[in-house]
Amino acid sequence: MDINLMIEIAPLLVKAAWVTVDISARALVFGFFIASALVALRTSRIPPIRWLARSYISVVRGTPYFVQLLLVFYGGPAIGLRLDPFTCGVVVGAFNIGAYMSEAIRGAIESVESGQNEASRSLGFGRLETLQYIILPQAAGLMIRSVGVLAIILVKNSSLVSIISVIELTYQAQRLIGSTYKPLEVFTLSALMYIIIIYAVMGIVEFLYRRATRYTFL
Amino acid sequence: MEFDFSPVIDYLPTLLQGVGVTLLIGLAVTVMSVIGGQIVAVISLYTRKVVSWPLRFFIWLFMTTPLLLQLYFLYFGIGEWILIPAIVVGVLGLGFHYMAYNADIFIATIRSVSSGQYEASRSLGFGHLATLFYVILPQAFYRALPQLSNNMIIMVKDISVLSAIGIGEMVYVSQYAISVTFRPFEFYITIAVIYYLINLMMEAGQSWIERRAAYRR
Amino acid sequence: MTQTTDTPMVELKGVKKRFGDLEVLKGIDLRVDRGRIISIIGPSGSGKSTLLRSVNNLEVIDEGSILLDGMQVNRPDLKGLAYERHINHIRQNMGMVFQHFNLFPHLSTLENVTLAPRKLKGMNASGARELGMELLERVGLADKAQAYPSSLSGGQKQRVAIARALAMQPKVMLFDEATSALDPELVEEVNLVMKGLAEEHMTMLIVTHEMTFARDVSDWAMFMDGGVVVEANTPENLFSHPDQERTQHFLRKHLGAQA
Repeated sequence: MDINLMIEIAPLLVKAAWVTVDISARALVFGFFIASALVALRTSRIPPIRWLARSYISVVRGTPYFVQLLLVFYGGPAIGLRLDPFTCGVVVGAFNIGAYMSEAIRGAIESVESGQNEASRSLGFGRLETLQYIILPQAAGLMIRSVGVLAIILVKNSSLVSIISVIELTYQAQRLIGSTYKPLEVFTLSALMYIIIIYAVMGIVEFLYRRATRYTFL
Repeated sequence: MEFDFSPVIDYLPTLLQGVGVTLLIGLAVTVMSVIGGQIVAVISLYTRKVVSWPLRFFIWLFMTTPLLLQLYFLYFGIGEWILIPAIVVGVLGLGFHYMAYNADIFIATIRSVSSGQYEASRSLGFGHLATLFYVILPQAFYRALPQLSNNMIIMVKDISVLSAIGIGEMVYVSQYAISVTFRPFEFYITIAVIYYLINLMMEAGQSWIERRAAYRR
Repeated sequence: MTQTTDTPMVELKGVKKRFGDLEVLKGIDLRVDRGRIISIIGPSGSGKSTLLRSVNNLEVIDEGSILLDGMQVNRPDLKGLAYERHINHIRQNMGMVFQHFNLFPHLSTLENVTLAPRKLKGMNASGARELGMELLERVGLADKAQAYPSSLSGGQKQRVAIARALAMQPKVMLFDEATSALDPELVEEVNLVMKGLAEEHMTMLIVTHEMTFARDVSDWAMFMDGGVVVEANTPENLFSHPDQERTQHFLRKHLGAQA
């Protein structure tokens, strides 16, 4: 392996890795709001709204993220939606992961025993208060873990925005392979950066999980 | 904004050819990654560290890096040394990627089959390998089915990524048509619909398989 | 709000409840005066738990009416938010104790007891703490105030659950098989707490399979089977000289097993 070359290209890859983190983090935050909205819509009293939310989740989960990205970026202008590549990556990433995350959040909420809901309601707490004081604190652990899994998928998915020429990690890696003819060196370094990002996400998730489930250790 | 799907109709034969390629790749990768995943799992569980550790390293590496980066590495990297057609790189790349995911599942389900099963089989006089083949692996396979079929549903959607290295599946053949007709929206919507239909069929197949496998677990 | 002393604390009139095609309550009438303790016994599937849950509106009845201290509990005329507000207010006046405790596992023992008075009555932290400690003292668990439910025994959990229900100063306490999930040696500590409440003249509705306890503690006992009240009498009469054959049969099986 050509160590000198690796040292030379490292700054470029670090810079590109930061774009990967940036785009994934923004998509995660927006995705969380979209997911929460979807969870609320799915429990709406009005059937067409429930049906619409369910269909949205089904369609997004049933089609490739890559095709969604191409559709919005290249097809968007046809319906008056013009986004720059970075914004497009964030928006499509958020709307995509939001659908998956809404299922994760719903699953976590449903994992709390029904007796908890009954006990809270029997004390006189309303539906929202029960969600706030009783259900969400108990669902938080599972929710954090499943959102963590999705965050990792989001990081790996973000490599696809290289196709619409966002200069993130995979884009930079492909360019450097082409210009240096040293695929092993470039791959090793860029893989290492993905691994660092993913392990950082896992570390944060584990920290938050422990905080949210402290009561089970006491 | 006006939609015109007539170019899509004009290019329908090409598009259908792309659908065919997508389905064939899906089939090839399923066979490769399920059989390969099982072999990798068994080897990494029952061999010396010299063999099992490198294997586990590759499983881990395939699972912690993006598919597209792996494809680029295989395509440009191996392409440096030997000339192999893109389609082979694509099937191998996708195959290895999902072989790692499936092996990860098999390792867990093989471990989950109780040691009582192993002892019962040995007490009947079966050897170690016979126990593995007749008792442990069949049970592990049925336990793995739900997650396995999930992986394959995700895998089929990832076939679209192979367009990035020039494989003539749906997205790639449409990109040519789009460059001529300037109708990206119509083409990508059509592809999304086709994928959604494939996905619905696969989900139906998944619940059929699970119903049939349920009483074998 | 509080009515004259001769208003019954709980009153059920012609209560009917169906699950699909199955009618589990076939017209129940019941009057519980203040300070009275009523035990409901019967085989599983007799509708006794459904009856108790209906009083708390955890099951919504199909016909008839339920009144708590003169206020109507079931209100088919109310919809949406108005109904929510109504039922939350009603429930704040009733304490319910469940077979499986349903303590909140993410809150300490003291927090389990003080959550409702703090959030629903706006009690301040120190006041709630004082009240919570007083109640934990009463069920003999003051030393476990900072413990979490996962570290408590079943009997301790149920005593905390009783303290939690008492924290809202309810007009009536509902016990749904409070000792059924407990190991035999833990039943007595919960029974003692319930007897303590009886001595303080708390109005109680108790669904139980503990015949001896029911006989000792209650003023009135009801035997239910197949969604109807088969027989109701003073505990002495019901347990010693039951009139109905179904009651005799049931008691032979259960008193025999308990002795």
